[in-house]
Amino acid sequence: MSALGHYIEEEGIATVAISLIRPQTENTKPPRALWVPFELGRPFGPPSDPAFQKRVILAALRLLEREDGPVLIEDFPEDDPRAQPDPAWQPPFIPAAVSAGPAETLASRLETEILLLTDAHEHWIGQHGRTTVGLSGLSVSDCAHYVADWLHGRAPPSLRDGFSAPLMLRFAVDDVKAYCLEAAAAGPAKPSSRQLGDWFWSGTGAGAAIHALRAAQLASEDDRLKLIAGNFMVPAARVRSAG
Amino acid sequence: MTRLSDLPPAQAKRLAELECPDFETRPWVTGPALSQRRVAIVSSAGLVVRGEMPFRGRDPDYRVIPAATKPEDLLISHISINFDRTGFQEDRNVVFPLDRLNDLANEDVIGSVAATHYSFMGATDPVQMDPHARELAGRLKRDRVDAVILPPV
Repeated sequence: MSALGHYIEEEGIATVAISLIRPQTENTKPPRALWVPFELGRPFGPPSDPAFQKRVILAALRLLEREDGPVLIEDFPEDDPRAQPDPAWQPPFIPAAVSAGPAETLASRLETEILLLTDAHEHWIGQHGRTTVGLSGLSVSDCAHYVADWLHGRAPPSLRDGFSAPLMLRFAVDDVKAYCLEAAAAGPAKPSSRQLGDWFWSGTGAGAAIHALRAAQLASEDDRLKLIAGNFMVPAARVRSAG
Repeated sequence: MTRLSDLPPAQAKRLAELECPDFETRPWVTGPALSQRRVAIVSSAGLVVRGEMPFRGRDPDYRVIPAATKPEDLLISHISINFDRTGFQEDRNVVFPLDRLNDLANEDVIGSVAATHYSFMGATDPVQMDPHARELAGRLKRDRVDAVILPPV
């Protein structure tokens, strides 16, 4: 975030930004920035590749020793090797997913898939020592149940202090997605983000349930719910056309 | 998928044309060699320590991430879903390179690593972040930080 660099540098501390979107950085003109040719979400490139990550961070930090600014915007020369699909990757086995259907069917399917993915997700935790499920504060099965309740049209109240019901729903959806994508990435293969996203959004009942949830809440009279469902559940590149 | 040209055209256009602040000043702070610098991460990924309040919508303040935070306790609560999270799920250093900073400190490439790191949520209006960023600079100075790396997401 280049604006933060401006504010902090004005307060007397040297900064260097990583840039993922070069035109934004060119417009904001931070003191120093290193543009990296990686996909959004990966400012230091490939996961589990310390040597590559170190080259990125060092290229950025070296800009702090330059004297020919402001403004300095340099480009990192290497592409992310993990951006390529891994043909060896196989998604976890779940019975062929329904891609559409009555909300009740999708809700049931969502909760079933969470159970079916338990072993794969435990494998993931054994492999990586962590999970990023947890924004909602609920267990993943409770997240699935909460999302299912919304699919059934029940509009349940929030289950956590400080969260509105729409925010609770957003974080429950985030946790369901994180759980499924972690389970799908368990094992020795190194799937690209696109492989994982294709599987989740087109090959699972959980993905179909979130598509249906989004579509249903877009008709809500609650503007906040409509905003969250419309923009913060299904990635723009995965939104299905109406119908 | 690495460049704007790899994104759906509508998303690429929106990102490239996003209104950015037009600052009148061009601050520039110099300092000692990298091997003597104390480095902090100030992320804009909406990072939060597990159990603490995630970013709700476009909260303009920041969250504190102690250097001792375990990898399993770091979560992303950024409002946008239009970026990859699977890299971070596998390895926090994709977004929050604390282990790499520790490597560089152990190799004496940098002087030291800050005791505390921070995260904003980058989809917030930068003008709203301004006072929080300036207050944060005071915290950084008290930790003797003289170099900040700013990763987006």
